[in-house]
Amino acid sequence: MKATAWLCTVLFAAAAMAAPPPMEDCCKEAPPAGPVSARSIYQLDATFCSDTGQCLPLAALRGRPVVLAMFFASCGYACPRLVTDMQAIRGRLPAELRDRAAYVLVSFDPDRDTPAALADYRRQRALDGAWMLLRADSGAVAELAALLGVKYRREPSGNFAHSNLITILNPEGEIVHRREGLGGGLDEAAQAVVAVGKGK
Amino acid sequence: MACVVLSLVGISAAPAAEMVRIPAGDYAPPLRAAGEPERVAVAAFLLDERPVTNADFLRFVTAQPKWRRSRIAPVFTDEAYLQHWAGDLELGPLAPPCAPVVRVSWFAARAYARWAGKRLATTAEWELAAAAGFTRADGKNDPELKHAVQQWIAWPVPAILPDAKRARPDFNGVRGLHGLVWEWVEDFSTAMVTGESRGDSGLDRDLFCGAGAVGSRDPGDYAAFMRLALRSSLTARHTTTSLGFRCARDVPEDSSP
Amino acid sequence: MKTIPLLVGSAATVALALGLGRGPLLAAEGAGAAKGPVILPPAVLALPVEQAVLTAPPKVPPPITRKHAARVVVHLEVREFVARLADGVDYSFWTYGGTVPGLFIRIREGDVVEFHLENHPSSKVPHNIDLHAVTGAGGGAAATFTAPGHASQFTFKALNAGLYVYHCATAPVPMHIANGMYGLILVEPKEGLPPVDREYYVMQGEFYTTGKFGEEGLQAFDLAKSIDERPPYVLFNGAVGSLVGDKAITAKVGEKVRLYFGVGGPNITSSFHVIGEIFDRVWPEGGTRFVQENVQTTMVPAGGSAIVDFKVDVPGTYILVDHSLSRAFNKGALGMLKVDGPENRVIYSGKEIDAVYLGAQADAGSEAARREAALQVRIAAEIKANPVIAGLTKEAQIEKGKQVYMGLCFACHQADGNGLPNVFPPLAQADYMLADRERAIRTVLKGMTGKVTVNGKTYDSMMPPQEAALSDAQVADVLTYVFNSWGNTGDAFTAAQVKNVRNEAR
Repeated sequence: MKATAWLCTVLFAAAAMAAPPPMEDCCKEAPPAGPVSARSIYQLDATFCSDTGQCLPLAALRGRPVVLAMFFASCGYACPRLVTDMQAIRGRLPAELRDRAAYVLVSFDPDRDTPAALADYRRQRALDGAWMLLRADSGAVAELAALLGVKYRREPSGNFAHSNLITILNPEGEIVHRREGLGGGLDEAAQAVVAVGKGK
Repeated sequence: MACVVLSLVGISAAPAAEMVRIPAGDYAPPLRAAGEPERVAVAAFLLDERPVTNADFLRFVTAQPKWRRSRIAPVFTDEAYLQHWAGDLELGPLAPPCAPVVRVSWFAARAYARWAGKRLATTAEWELAAAAGFTRADGKNDPELKHAVQQWIAWPVPAILPDAKRARPDFNGVRGLHGLVWEWVEDFSTAMVTGESRGDSGLDRDLFCGAGAVGSRDPGDYAAFMRLALRSSLTARHTTTSLGFRCARDVPEDSSP
Repeated sequence: MKTIPLLVGSAATVALALGLGRGPLLAAEGAGAAKGPVILPPAVLALPVEQAVLTAPPKVPPPITRKHAARVVVHLEVREFVARLADGVDYSFWTYGGTVPGLFIRIREGDVVEFHLENHPSSKVPHNIDLHAVTGAGGGAAATFTAPGHASQFTFKALNAGLYVYHCATAPVPMHIANGMYGLILVEPKEGLPPVDREYYVMQGEFYTTGKFGEEGLQAFDLAKSIDERPPYVLFNGAVGSLVGDKAITAKVGEKVRLYFGVGGPNITSSFHVIGEIFDRVWPEGGTRFVQENVQTTMVPAGGSAIVDFKVDVPGTYILVDHSLSRAFNKGALGMLKVDGPENRVIYSGKEIDAVYLGAQADAGSEAARREAALQVRIAAEIKANPVIAGLTKEAQIEKGKQVYMGLCFACHQADGNGLPNVFPPLAQADYMLADRERAIRTVLKGMTGKVTVNGKTYDSMMPPQEAALSDAQVADVLTYVFNSWGNTGDAFTAAQVKNVRNEAR
C-alpha cells in the first residue's frame, strides 16, 4: 500500500511540473494580481487535479467566493449530505452569485478517487460546471485538511473517518465561515457567501 | 561540535542527519475504535538518527526564505514560531546549534522534510521506533528505557535544550526519541479528540477523564497517553517549547533488508 | 440533564461569518476547531461584568454580596514547575495558578462565567479543566483542551449551587491530578451561605514519588505506585507542613470557622477530622443543604468536597487530619488551626491533676523499667526522624508551654520576655539562659537566688522553684516555648531531659 501511495506521489509530482492548463469556463475571470494574502489557504502551493484531468494550484480559485468541503466518493453517509447541504447553500444565494461562486469538493482518497471515479460522482450527483471535484497526493490532502481544520483518518476498511465541515472562502481564499457537523447552519453559510461575494 | 562545523558549510547542502533503518514491525495504538485491528503492520523505513537541530533548521530557512520567522504566512504557524531564536537567521543563546529545534509548526516541519528530500514519520512508524529499548529491541522489557521514559515524563523541559547528538542511542542507533522533545508526526491529527461527536463521522471517542481508558490497550503506558494527548491538543499551526521533529524516508526499493 | 440554551444554536457563528470585528479565521485555532464566541442574549449581555477574584490556598475569596447574577470572567493559568514537597524534597508540580490546590474560584448561582484557561509556553504537555460545577459534556474538558503556549475560552452558566472540585482531565488523568491539578469552585446559592467569621480552603491530595516519604532530592512521579494507589505522601494543600507553624490557619475564641474541604485524589478518599473540634454543621459532598449537625469525622470522596462549620470555644492548636491515621502520622496529612483567646476551663480544663499512680510502676532497674526506657528511646528517635511529627510536637509543645508561661512566669518575666528592668532578668535573647539548656531546666525546677548577669546587666532577686508545681512535660513545654519565642530559637525540650535533671539531686 505504501508503494502505491508513493507511485501516486510520483505521478502527481510529474503532473505538477507540466504548465498549468487553461482554466475551465467557470474560471475565466483572471485571478487578481499581486501576492496571495498571508492568511489565505491559497498559500498552499500544492497542485490539485480535477475529474476533467486539469491540474491547478488552489490559488486558481482566487477572485471567487468558494464553498468547499472535503469528502470521498465512496462515502455512503456523511459526504452525500455535505454535497446536499452545499447545493442547499447554493440555492439560497442570489442568482448572480449562485453561478459565480465555486463549489469545491476535495477527496481524502487519492487511491480510489481517480479522475474517472470523480467524473462518475459528478454524473451521479448531477453537478454542473460550477462544481470542481479535486484530488491530490496524500501530502497535499493532509496540508489542505490541516489548513481547514479537518481531521480525518483512513480506517482499515479503506473508508475515511473525517470531520464534517463546509468552509466558506472569500475571493482571497481566506476562511470566513465554517459550518461544522451535518445539517443546519445553511442560512448562516449562505449569508457568509453573500457577504464576501459583494463588491463585484 | 560536529554540527556547528556543519552549519558553517555551504547553506545549500542538504542536512546531513544520518538515517537509521528501523526494521518492520507492528504498532498497537493506545486507543482503538471498535473494529480497528489491535495491531498495525509497519514496513521497514529509514528514520533520522536524531531530531532536527537548530543548525539544521537554520540551513533550511536560509535556503527557503518563506519559512523564516519574519516571513512565514500566519496560515502556517502561530505567533510563537522560532520565538527563541535571536533573529531570522541568528540562533542566539536560547537555541544552541546542536539542540533540537522546537517552536516549529507541522507545516514548517513538513516543508523542511520536503526540502531535505524526506518526509515526516507516521504515528505508527514513530511509535514502532520508540518501542525499542536501549539494550534490546523490545523496550517494554528494558528497565533502563522504562526508567528513562519515567524520568522524561516527570520533569519539565529545560529552557535551553541539550545537545541532540549526545542523547543515548537506542537498540537501533536512534537518539532522543524519549527524553529530549516531543516530535511531530505526519498524521498527528488522526489522534482525534474533539469531544464534539456531531462534527465527526465515526470519531466518537474521548480521551478525557475515565473515558480515556475505555478500549485502551495498555492503560499503564502513561508516556504513550501523553504523546497521544499532546498530538490531540495540536493543530498544524501550533508550536510549543518542547515540540520538534525528525525526518523519515521509505527504504529504497532496491536495498536489501 | 439540563441544557444550556446560551450555548446551543448556530447564531454564534453569524458574527464570524460576517467578519464582525475579526479578521479571517485561521482554521482550527485550538484542539478541535474553535466555534467562536457565544452570542449572548441581551438579558445576559446586560449583566454587570466582573473579573473573578481568585485566591491561593488557604485563603478564600470574600463572600458574594450582590443579589443578582453577573458575567464573571475567570483567568486561570496552568504552570508546570519544580517546588518543595517536603523539607529537602522537590517535586515537579503541575498547577492551576501556581498553587496546589489551584486557585479558589467563587461565583454565584446563575452567574454566566467566561472561563479562560491559559497553558504557559514552558509547559511540556497539554492541559484542560473539568469543573464539576459545569453542566455540559466533559464539564469544559474538551472546550479547554489546550496545547502548551496556547489559551482556550469557554462560557458556562452556573446552574447548580454547591462546592465543586475542578481538575485536569487530560490523559493520563491520574498523573495530571497526582501532580497537583485540582482545586475548588464555590457556586454560592442565591440566598448565600450562613455568615461565619473565618473561611479557609483546604484540599487533600496524594503524591506518588519514586522515593519513600522524606527521601531527599528531586522526586519523580512513580507510575507503578500511582497505579497501585500506594502514595508515599498524602497531603493537605500540596506540601508537608503547608498548614503548620507560621502557615497554620487561625481563629479567635468565639469565632465561627468554615472550612471548604476538597479531595483532589487522584485515588484516596479522606476521613476528614479536626482533633478537638466537633463540626457544628456539615454540608456533605459539597451540596447545598447541611444535612447533619455535630459531626466528628466526615467522609469526603476523591473528586468531592464538604463544607464544615464550627465555633471555636477554647484556645489551642487544633490538628486537621485524615483520620485514616497512617496518612496523618506517616504521610503528612495534617494541618493546624491555631485558636487564640482566653481560656475557658469550664469547657476545657486542661490537665487538672497529675498524681502518682502505683498500679504498674516498675521498680528501678527492673526488666520492665528497662523495657520502658528502651521504648522511650525508640519513640524519641522515631519522632526525631520524622520531621512532620517533630515539627508538630514542637508546635504543640510551644502552645502548651505558652499556657504554662502565662500562668506562672509572665508576672515576673513579662509577656514579651523582657523581664522588668533592674528587677527581673529578661528571657528574650538572654545569653545566660541560652548558653546552657540543662542549667535552664535546673533553674525552673530548683529556682535561683543570688546575683546573675544577663546580657551585661546584673540582677539580684529570687526565682521560686517550680518542681512541685510543674510536671516534667510542663517544664519541657514551657522551656520549649521560652526557647522559641521573642527571637529565641532552639530545639524542643523533652520530658526525659527534665526528668534527668529532676532526679540528679534526689
